[in-house]
Amino acid sequence: MKKVIELKNISKYFAKVIANKDVSFDLHEGEVLALLGENGAGKSTIMKILYGLYHQDEGKILINGEETRIDSPKDAMKYGISMIQQHFSLVEAHTVTENIILGHVKGNIDVNECTNKIKELSDKYGFNLNPNSIIRDLSVGERQKVEILKALFQNTEILIMDEPTAVLTPQEITNLMKFIKDFVKGGNSVVFISHKLNEVMEVADNIVIMRNGELVGNVKKTETDEKKLANLMVGRELNQTPTKSISHVVENENVLDMTNVTCVDRDGIKVLNNLSLTVRKGEIFGIAGVSGNGQQELCEAISGVRELVDGKITLLNEDIGSLSVYERIKAGIGYVPSNRHRDAMISDMTIAENMFLKSSFENKWLAGKLIDKEKLNSYTNNKIRDFSIKAHGPDAKAGGLSGGNQQKVILAREVDNGSKLIVLDQPTRGLDLGAINHVHKSIVRESKNGKGILLVSTELSEIFGLCDRIGVIYQGELQGIYSPDELTPEKVGLLMAGWKEEVR
Amino acid sequence: MIDTLATALMMSTPLLYGAISEMFTERSGVMNTSIEGAFLMGAFGGFVGAYISGSLLIGFIFAIISGVLLTFIYGIVTVKYKQHQVVTGTALNILALGLATFLFRVIFGIPVIPLKVTPLQTIAIPLLSKIPFVGPIFFDQNLLTYIMYFIVPASFYVLYKTSYGLIIRSTGENPEAVDVAGVDVNRVRITMLLIAGAFCGIAGAFYSLTILGLFTSSIIGGRGWIAFAICFLGNWRPYGVLFGALAFGLAEAIGIRFMVMEGMVIPNEFFIALPYILTIILTITRNSFNIPAKLGVPYNKE
Repeated sequence: MKKVIELKNISKYFAKVIANKDVSFDLHEGEVLALLGENGAGKSTIMKILYGLYHQDEGKILINGEETRIDSPKDAMKYGISMIQQHFSLVEAHTVTENIILGHVKGNIDVNECTNKIKELSDKYGFNLNPNSIIRDLSVGERQKVEILKALFQNTEILIMDEPTAVLTPQEITNLMKFIKDFVKGGNSVVFISHKLNEVMEVADNIVIMRNGELVGNVKKTETDEKKLANLMVGRELNQTPTKSISHVVENENVLDMTNVTCVDRDGIKVLNNLSLTVRKGEIFGIAGVSGNGQQELCEAISGVRELVDGKITLLNEDIGSLSVYERIKAGIGYVPSNRHRDAMISDMTIAENMFLKSSFENKWLAGKLIDKEKLNSYTNNKIRDFSIKAHGPDAKAGGLSGGNQQKVILAREVDNGSKLIVLDQPTRGLDLGAINHVHKSIVRESKNGKGILLVSTELSEIFGLCDRIGVIYQGELQGIYSPDELTPEKVGLLMAGWKEEVR
Repeated sequence: MIDTLATALMMSTPLLYGAISEMFTERSGVMNTSIEGAFLMGAFGGFVGAYISGSLLIGFIFAIISGVLLTFIYGIVTVKYKQHQVVTGTALNILALGLATFLFRVIFGIPVIPLKVTPLQTIAIPLLSKIPFVGPIFFDQNLLTYIMYFIVPASFYVLYKTSYGLIIRSTGENPEAVDVAGVDVNRVRITMLLIAGAFCGIAGAFYSLTILGLFTSSIIGGRGWIAFAICFLGNWRPYGVLFGALAFGLAEAIGIRFMVMEGMVIPNEFFIALPYILTIILTITRNSFNIPAKLGVPYNKE
């Protein structure tokens, strides 16, 4: 096969951090190349260099055998290279057509002609997308299709996709895989950035594995398997995801009991609709679903951030529905929100200060009327040790820690706040495998201590691996509550996409 | 009645120039909070140019240059160096006031009789101006007011029907999408500010060279801010802005009319205050906004 892109000895440094070191590999015509690695392995960086968002400090890029300098995405597009970032860059208030033609049509806009052209492209790949829809009304999966169409509209031949499946339902993932295979059939190439082994094994022809900014493997799919890839990617033997086999006892006493809970958003639209569930002592209750279907609202309703319109919430048989956030923390509810920077920590404050952020009203932190610095520091030091947080001490700024370590700080705090119940909203999102492992262990440990755990996650493996019961949420309603053996990933996928069993 | 309506159209002219230019800058994501200063610089520069050269055309050219200079500084500080837009605007407005007052004294000293230039005259359009009622209102106006008739449809066309209009609108909603499409976000924003500077310069000079024919440092008297508010009230849409500009122009015209009327029961000040009261009421009561999502937020690449 013909080489379309050759990366030769690329290195990139950010301040003191090495993002890429001496990375070389080729991309061939008609090939799906997977770029596999943990978060922070440098996968996105090397592709952003190819896309012109960054410039390499050393090394060179050859396109069709000729050395080329790419200074901006505009340059990259000239060579037929497009990249779909993890965070979409779409204008929410505009239509699909307007987003796709942005910056790529000159002078007067012939809307009809553009719309027809986009419709044609969309039909060619079976996207079933209305060019006149407003982006804000589209699902994440549809938005991704818009991003893909944006690339196709510019006659892209090399499509780079950064973690494209992270936000999709299983069905949408299947469709995406089908698109990728169709797309390369025409002689185009795809770079598929991922840390998910099964997807890489499904879609890729060749797999490049990166770790700590360096290339650690370049293999044909046919010559490898998931286990080999995992070892290359992590560079150490992984502890298996702790499962229920580490036995913990679910008692028959309800910690949390929600009955017919309904909440609305600012516009009065129901975000939680008549939702009922119970979490028992020692139980890990999982909420599966595509993000944005009411998970965050559910967690907020429990932690007291969001008011109930209707329904009842009890904690150990005491009605907490009308209690304030503060009273609920006192009652023993811990909450790890999904957006930790916005809702869980103050980046400019130290770890110690963040530690007592949510329980600052308690006398235990006081010496007289002032903060007992010594006590707080020794408490924080213990937490740093217990949760193996990588930080130089209690005085380290929380914002200076890596994402995984920030999450450990929050988890360490919430485990103590949540003496009865811990609500975790996507606790492992964006973390590397080591940190994920740690979070999982903590969850299992706390459930063994007899706490109730509500775990919201979009990672099905996490839900299946950890939970005693699983509720699938769709548009603010529970599609049903199941034990893990009753479900297959396919069935969860359908439930997540809105399909409902007629009779249970 | 006819007189008042004709005056209303004339008085709304500079407001529309200012408000339309504000609409374009805000659509691209920057608030031109130096608008009041740009009006004043226009009024001052325009008067100086016209007085010294004796030509109104040169006066208006001076006005454009003065307005653009101010918004250029504003653009560099807020777009390039990403400083706070309200703080920067406030500083520049104070600077413009001081500068205009100071330079006026430096150039002309303290004149005993106010210095005057012949204001821009009205041009009655043959035939059309003879139409009863409509003619004297619409077709016996000055050149700048005639131009105003075309500005709104032209703005609508540019904003919604051209590629660059789409870029402007997208820049205010999601600059990242524009950047990814290979368009320089800051360049779009600074371009909008420079155009706004030209429009505001003309608008300011309208007061010194068309309405009054003289310059005082209080000549603008908050009308830049009214243009600013009209953009907001017009919901960032060309025809909304037109409606707002006409409403405020009418209020001003009624105020002028009552000022010269004998035996009025309602004090003239009421009508002067009317636009401001209107702004507050409309602001509170309206609930659907078309506000650009990234208005006032500097664009940071990665």
